[in-house]
Amino acid sequence: MHNEALRIEDLHLSYSNLLGTVFSKPRALSFFLRNRDNDKELINGANLVLHRGETLCIGGPSGQGKSALLRVIAGLIRPNQGRLFYFGEYIPPERHSALEIAKRQVGLVFQNGALISNLRVRDNIALPLRYHKKGTPKEIDEKINMAMDLMRVRNEANMFPHQLSVGMQKRVAIARSWAMDPRLLLMDEPTAGLDNYNRRNLLPLIDNMRTLFKTSIIIITHDLMIAKELDCNISFLHNRTLTDPHSFNYWSSADNAISRELFRDLRVSG
Amino acid sequence: MERAEDKNNDNLTLLGKIFHKLGMSIMCITIGQQIVLLFRALSSFFSESRSFKTDSKNIILQTFFTGVEIFPVLFVVATLFGAIVIVEVMTMTGKMGFSDVVGNLMVVVVIRELGPILTAFLIAGRSGSSLSTYVGGMVINSEVDALATMGVDPIRYLVMPGLIGGTIATFIMTIIFSASAIGAGFLVIKGLIAITGNALNLQLTWDYLSTEILSAMTMMDFVFIVIKPLVFGCIITTNACYQAMNIAHDIRQVPKATGKSVIKSFFYIVCADVVLSIFYFLDYFNEISKII
Repeated sequence: MHNEALRIEDLHLSYSNLLGTVFSKPRALSFFLRNRDNDKELINGANLVLHRGETLCIGGPSGQGKSALLRVIAGLIRPNQGRLFYFGEYIPPERHSALEIAKRQVGLVFQNGALISNLRVRDNIALPLRYHKKGTPKEIDEKINMAMDLMRVRNEANMFPHQLSVGMQKRVAIARSWAMDPRLLLMDEPTAGLDNYNRRNLLPLIDNMRTLFKTSIIIITHDLMIAKELDCNISFLHNRTLTDPHSFNYWSSADNAISRELFRDLRVSG
Repeated sequence: MERAEDKNNDNLTLLGKIFHKLGMSIMCITIGQQIVLLFRALSSFFSESRSFKTDSKNIILQTFFTGVEIFPVLFVVATLFGAIVIVEVMTMTGKMGFSDVVGNLMVVVVIRELGPILTAFLIAGRSGSSLSTYVGGMVINSEVDALATMGVDPIRYLVMPGLIGGTIATFIMTIIFSASAIGAGFLVIKGLIAITGNALNLQLTWDYLSTEILSAMTMMDFVFIVIKPLVFGCIITTNACYQAMNIAHDIRQVPKATGKSVIKSFFYIVCADVVLSIFYFLDYFNEISKII
């Protein structure tokens, strides 16, 4: 188990949980007073094992709970049932919160970027570094500049998020996550809203992180070509469970419902 | 389906069960949750990630934001309010022959009761509402979630500076309110007397007013000048942040939460004022028993 980044066993999640954590309420409250009646289940018994340095794409039609699954892994939603292991360490449900999981260097890139709107790009990237006191001010500055260079947002360093386009906001968000040196990076639709040029730039970056920093990455995406280009496995959320991870080629040549549904266009084009 | 936490509850001893029930019932009500939020915010000030420079910068910004932006309105309200109170007190006591209680009445009305309350109302309407809109907007844009996933405690980052800065600003503003109600109010009346040719027939001098007020002030007043604004400031900011952070991801909840934060702040402030006034009553009783 020592080379595992993430292990999920028998995860159950229902619609009533989707509201997520409310930070103003005591954590014990949501733990003891949970909605016990089994309402409509979104995810029913999902299992997942992710090794260190491995990249996994999770696909599937929208509305299947892909983003919800990512929020569970990041600790923003507490599942009904299920055991989660981060880097071999079991996190019991009473400690399953975003702050606790962030301590284990798990980063999340939101679908809309979720930059702090009253801070400039530079300060947005610097915020977690300064908060956690990762090094001297000079080291932090160097780290920020490196992150901005990697994502090509150096020229926009002194802009506010609302002055940037959606794609740029997303690049800043990725830079912010990267600067924290995550061991497990969760990305929600990283390529949606990016133009082809930046998409091509993003993919080698993800590849670099995987090889140089041994970062484990989970990518939620509709863009199944990512999996092919990154040469990683794909799981699908199908029928309220996660399928086993298989390579792009397996899925495109397999003869099952998912392949027929999702790979129809890709097959025709070759 | 047997859940893990059910088993945990069964493991508790009788005493443990009683405390568990008590704690849960306190945390279920709104006020209990707000008190918990207040203490979490206060304790987060001492958390590992404290840094004097950024913390003091955030707190000073918040104090500046709360205090300076409210100042023009507060000054005008305080001046006019003080002028009215001085005129009313002087004329009424003159008519009824209680001229020696002018100072006592001024202290009770301006410094003790209405000064802190009006200041708190103004700050709740101005800064409380803007704080809850600000935090509510961040909740809607999932910026608060983003903070948490970066390991930045939202309570520390958002609530704590607002709480401490807002409380300091309320304290300073209350003193400014009382001072300008008496000082500038006096000047306004002097101006009115000069314009109207003393139609009200007031014999008002600064010597008289200041001596009366200072001789009427007791030790309790000085203590409560500090305590009342601190309590009100905590109530306003905690309530504003609590209402904002309870918003589900729904934009229509933001104006609702803002309105709630202002109205509930008014309500809590008046309730807290009544509770604090009990100490004054105790003081009175002591004095009465001394006389007897």
